[in-house]
Amino acid sequence: MQLTFRIFFLFLCLTGTAQNQKYQSLLLDSSLSDNANAIVRIDEMNIHLSSYNEMSYEVNQVVTILNSKGNSFGVNRVGYDKEKKIKDLEVYIYDNLGNEIDHIKKRDFEDVSVNDGISLYNDDRMLVNRYTPVSYPCTIALHYTIETSDTGFFPQWYFVSDYNVSVEESRYTINYSDYGIKPQIKEYNLEEIQVSKKESEGIITYEAADIKAYRPEQMAPSFSKIIPRLRVQLKQFSLKGETAEFNDWKDFGLWVNNSLLKDRSNLNAETTSKVKSLVSGVSDTLERAKIIYKYVQDNTRYISVQIGIGGWKPISALDVDKVKYGDCKGLSNYTRALLKAAGVESYYTVIQAGNGKIDFEQDFAGLQGNHAILTIPYKNEYYWIDCTSQVHPFGFLGDFTDDRKALVVKPEGGELIKTASYLNEQNFQGINGEYILDPVGNILGFVKISTKGVQYDNRFGLEKESPEDVVKYYQNTWNNINNLKLDDYSFENDKDQVLFTETVTFKASNYASISGNRILFSVNAFNNNSFVPNRYRNRKFPFEITRGYLDEDTLLIKLPDGYKIEAVPEAFNEENEFGHYKVSFEPKEEGHSIVYKRSLFIKNGFYPKEKYGDYREFRKMTAKMDNSQIVLVKK
Amino acid sequence: MKKIKNSISITLLLFGLCLNAQDYKFGKVSKEELEEKYYPKDSSAAAVVLYRNERIWFQYYQKSGFQVVTNVHERIKIYNKDGFDYATKAEQLYKNGTDAENLSGLKAFTYNLVDDKIVKDKLEKSGQFQTSLNKYRNEEKFTLPNIKEGSVVEYEYEIHSPFYYNIAEIALQYDIPIKKEEISIATPEYFVFKPFMKGYLMIQPKYSTNSGTINIQSKSRSQSVRNIQNTKYSNSQIDYKVNTVQYNVEHVPALKEEPYVNYMDNYRSAVKYELQYVKFPNAPIKSYTSTWESVIKNIYKSESFGGQLKGNRFFNEELEKLKNASSSQSELALSIFKHIQERMTWNKYFGYYVDKGIKDAYKERTGNIADINLLLLAILQEAGLEANPVLISTRSNGVPLFPTMEGFNYVIASVQLGEGTVLLDASNKYTKPNLLPTRALNWLGRLIKKDETYETINLSPQSISAENTVMMVDLSSEGKLNGKLRKVYNEYNAYQFRNTNIAISEDSYLEKLENRNHGMEISDYRIKNKKTVGKPITESYAFNLDNQVDVINDKIYFSPMFFMATEENPFKLNERNYPVDFSYPWQEKYIINVNIPEGYHLLSKPKDISLVMPNNMGSFKYQIMLRGTSLQLSVDLMMNQAVVGTEQYGGLKELYSKVVEKQVEKVVLTKVIGETSINELKEGK
Repeated sequence: MQLTFRIFFLFLCLTGTAQNQKYQSLLLDSSLSDNANAIVRIDEMNIHLSSYNEMSYEVNQVVTILNSKGNSFGVNRVGYDKEKKIKDLEVYIYDNLGNEIDHIKKRDFEDVSVNDGISLYNDDRMLVNRYTPVSYPCTIALHYTIETSDTGFFPQWYFVSDYNVSVEESRYTINYSDYGIKPQIKEYNLEEIQVSKKESEGIITYEAADIKAYRPEQMAPSFSKIIPRLRVQLKQFSLKGETAEFNDWKDFGLWVNNSLLKDRSNLNAETTSKVKSLVSGVSDTLERAKIIYKYVQDNTRYISVQIGIGGWKPISALDVDKVKYGDCKGLSNYTRALLKAAGVESYYTVIQAGNGKIDFEQDFAGLQGNHAILTIPYKNEYYWIDCTSQVHPFGFLGDFTDDRKALVVKPEGGELIKTASYLNEQNFQGINGEYILDPVGNILGFVKISTKGVQYDNRFGLEKESPEDVVKYYQNTWNNINNLKLDDYSFENDKDQVLFTETVTFKASNYASISGNRILFSVNAFNNNSFVPNRYRNRKFPFEITRGYLDEDTLLIKLPDGYKIEAVPEAFNEENEFGHYKVSFEPKEEGHSIVYKRSLFIKNGFYPKEKYGDYREFRKMTAKMDNSQIVLVKK
Repeated sequence: MKKIKNSISITLLLFGLCLNAQDYKFGKVSKEELEEKYYPKDSSAAAVVLYRNERIWFQYYQKSGFQVVTNVHERIKIYNKDGFDYATKAEQLYKNGTDAENLSGLKAFTYNLVDDKIVKDKLEKSGQFQTSLNKYRNEEKFTLPNIKEGSVVEYEYEIHSPFYYNIAEIALQYDIPIKKEEISIATPEYFVFKPFMKGYLMIQPKYSTNSGTINIQSKSRSQSVRNIQNTKYSNSQIDYKVNTVQYNVEHVPALKEEPYVNYMDNYRSAVKYELQYVKFPNAPIKSYTSTWESVIKNIYKSESFGGQLKGNRFFNEELEKLKNASSSQSELALSIFKHIQERMTWNKYFGYYVDKGIKDAYKERTGNIADINLLLLAILQEAGLEANPVLISTRSNGVPLFPTMEGFNYVIASVQLGEGTVLLDASNKYTKPNLLPTRALNWLGRLIKKDETYETINLSPQSISAENTVMMVDLSSEGKLNGKLRKVYNEYNAYQFRNTNIAISEDSYLEKLENRNHGMEISDYRIKNKKTVGKPITESYAFNLDNQVDVINDKIYFSPMFFMATEENPFKLNERNYPVDFSYPWQEKYIINVNIPEGYHLLSKPKDISLVMPNNMGSFKYQIMLRGTSLQLSVDLMMNQAVVGTEQYGGLKELYSKVVEKQVEKVVLTKVIGETSINELKEGK
């Protein structure tokens, strides 16, 4: 699903390099070894930009590995391709006294194909060497130089490359030969650390020292949002031999139009007439778009092939039409061509896909994104479709591309527009059910679950699962019900309303526990949410609820004859800045049954770390209330 | 009689043909195949192999000699989108120096039904991809065009391999069902192979013999007086016998995953051809592997294995020191083991052949499994102990069912001491004598003696790995717990604890422990023998926890195992096809003492229970009683066998469901003593 993996390479470049100094690791600054699996002694990149399409950079990285969790620093990978050449690659290994114990030369590296895990084919390659530390601490010094004509993906800078890694010294230098090619730099989170920036003619340097290791924390924003880093790019650059220049997103959009999409959307006469016949008699353009999207979903599949500028340029609509497969770019471009033939306007859209929401930034136009989708304008609104999915409803993005600014490529140029969002109540789950409890603790009954929004996205795949997998799914989802057996189930997927409905009839033995004359059971059988965020003695980061949700449950529980209710929890209602929790237990039919109602609402939001304790308390309460017991006693 | 038999088989053959009206010739895809909506024998299949034909034969080239040719022809029906992956095929091809396998003659088509007509699309060059994965492997992939739900794809190709001594394992079972398959292997009389079958599929192979010929063109030159060259060509022909084995099967079910299986591929039906020997006319027999004896001899003879054990003096100095410090053979063996374990770090590569060689590995302090364990062995032998290598197949390599070189991928050391045979693996920092890393616990190992004979040795740990917990808690009337806990990790429990927790800081470990235990707050944490490998680990701490008890009106309800109760039965499937593998026998014991709050009385408590599985395979005991104001609970769950067979699965599942039922069962305390309650109290006691 990814446009390119060059970004991945940039990370690799970061992990890089060596001077001929010896590095002992007998005496380490304890403020740097706290919570650290490795200490980056020095991380240095020196870039020489001689023209918009000629650049070299030297990487020196020395890392002291403190324990086996830092072993990944012993694995060094450097990527290369047709435009990008590796020079002077070597690694030195030092023991804790600073004695050299190994020297790995370029020819000792293994030359392998980059397997990105997604692509059927990818022409990127890399040199790899794996060193296994034999004792700790030990120090790895990596040095290499890259020469490349590709300046489109300019080396970025992370002052810290990962959690549990501290940094003694970090230095990033750009030498540029001419003011006209001076790179643009955007800084992120630098206030967190001590950074000095020096700038003189033709040279920019960033330096930082003594950065303590960050620890991962639950619910923290994504790493790239909290870590000090730089984004760097050129206005005019070269990408796989093609030249591009832009000042803003509008220019970027024009470049995509003129260089990447031009002459790629032709269709043959047969397909054009097929499209015309598909939409004949349908005048509304949105209805037409739905017909075309369904045609694409029924007739194509996703296959990723990344060759050369293929990382950015879609294969032509004619080619996709012939083989009926393509990657995100190829399928989006193809669908756009079909929509055009059907008289529907649509815009090719570049986006950063993934569960975390990453925006394209208004003030920093540059090569960005890893996915392509389509935007369809209709009556002053935008509809979005992902052409790589054969199953999603029209206009529904799910959590892969929702709620983030993406580059919409219009004929007059690019424009940043936020995609459809699913923030709060839209992510809905409703549960309605009924079960009968017998005197030995068995239950039997039925339950109906409706989901919308992102909750729909999490569930609708069920209808494609085999019966065995459906059973496994419910046994795992309702793992609080031991011995669960399904008698029957059915699904209804309403793609127009984006509503998924599951109906399940079930039984389970020994659900309730018997204690002498009493029967105890947790009334909330189907939505027992035991999530409580982890406790931190000292939390550092703010926390984020990226997608809120609303769950509403109503259950009718029929109680066994010969028993009366001894204890039932009291109704409870709490509303706060994180959402609400409402629950009630209402005896009916003279104590022969109970109506249980529950509503849990969690709000989307970004909160300071000081609120974390409050949120944790809230979830402790909801977890406890969700497990509320009802006690019955023999009459 | 003979005649009659023949005619019977002919009629049978004809009968068979009539039944099989389907045409499996390449390109003869039928409308019925395209129209089929689901596979009748398994409606959950996303795709099915309608036909699979794999032919393997030897071809002679005058320049390079014999090559193995594999012709693959497969026709696959795709029912729905989940089956689209089967429109892409990948073959990994070996290379070694200038020798390389190569794939040729690829033809592939997609068939669709469009307006009731069969439409076919050809695979073009743009759908084919070659990648050099690394020094030893290339990969060829192709993906077919125009795939829709209902498509049929068909492809055929040949792989030519110069590595005639290694015919890859032939899978007879896929992750999707196979409707019909025909496999044949034809080998010239010069090459003697032995087939080994695995999996649950019963297949009767068919044997036949026919003949092949080799044409050899030779050239001879003669020179005349006037220096004119004459070249004469001559042809000679050699006839030889070809032995063919065929495996024809119909309706092979899909291989389906099950949880808690150590390695699914162990159960995949397949056949492997192992070269026994090569005998060309007028040449001596060249023997390859054929029996465990010869496999083992071959491995042992190698410079990278047995060769490593000869004439090693580089550690003599160190050995003298160890000898001087030891008073018995056992002590000496242990100190050598500890020395290597401390000195060496495993580089995560498996193998029974050394990578660096033991001498370099010793110097560099790192190496693969063989580097480390053969080094250990060499020193043990040099010290005069009776030490021998044990060849193993790791869990991820599967159970070696037939003798092949690939049937092993790991080696450990064994030493004969007064207490018997002791197994040693120095590749992990936390192992000890007779405690191997779990990866090596795979059925049987083969211990090789100096005379190159072997004996099989059971790798399954016999001793029970126990985890004992003692907990004393005070329960307050608000439902808060305030307690002390002590836990002892024995054997594999200690091994696992050390592997998981030694590298992380105590703070991070405690945070993890607190969060795992429902957010308890821990203080006074102490741990004993964390790094003293060989001794049990003891950890103890005090804690506060407040979400384990329900206080409703005048009553208190709680499960007396609190946060330690097993609340979910891990065995959910009704039946299993493959055994459950726990790696080692184990036991979990709990002694719990709950002081009930003042003013409260016990109203009811769970009943005692004691369950034993047949043959004492596993057992569960639960006893609870009131002594004064404290509840005393003793729970003992034990599994005496590492592997539970499918026939005993029902019993295991039942035992676990009782474990869960009992462990979540509640104790009820009450404050008020009314009329009814007094009666109940009596019952409670």
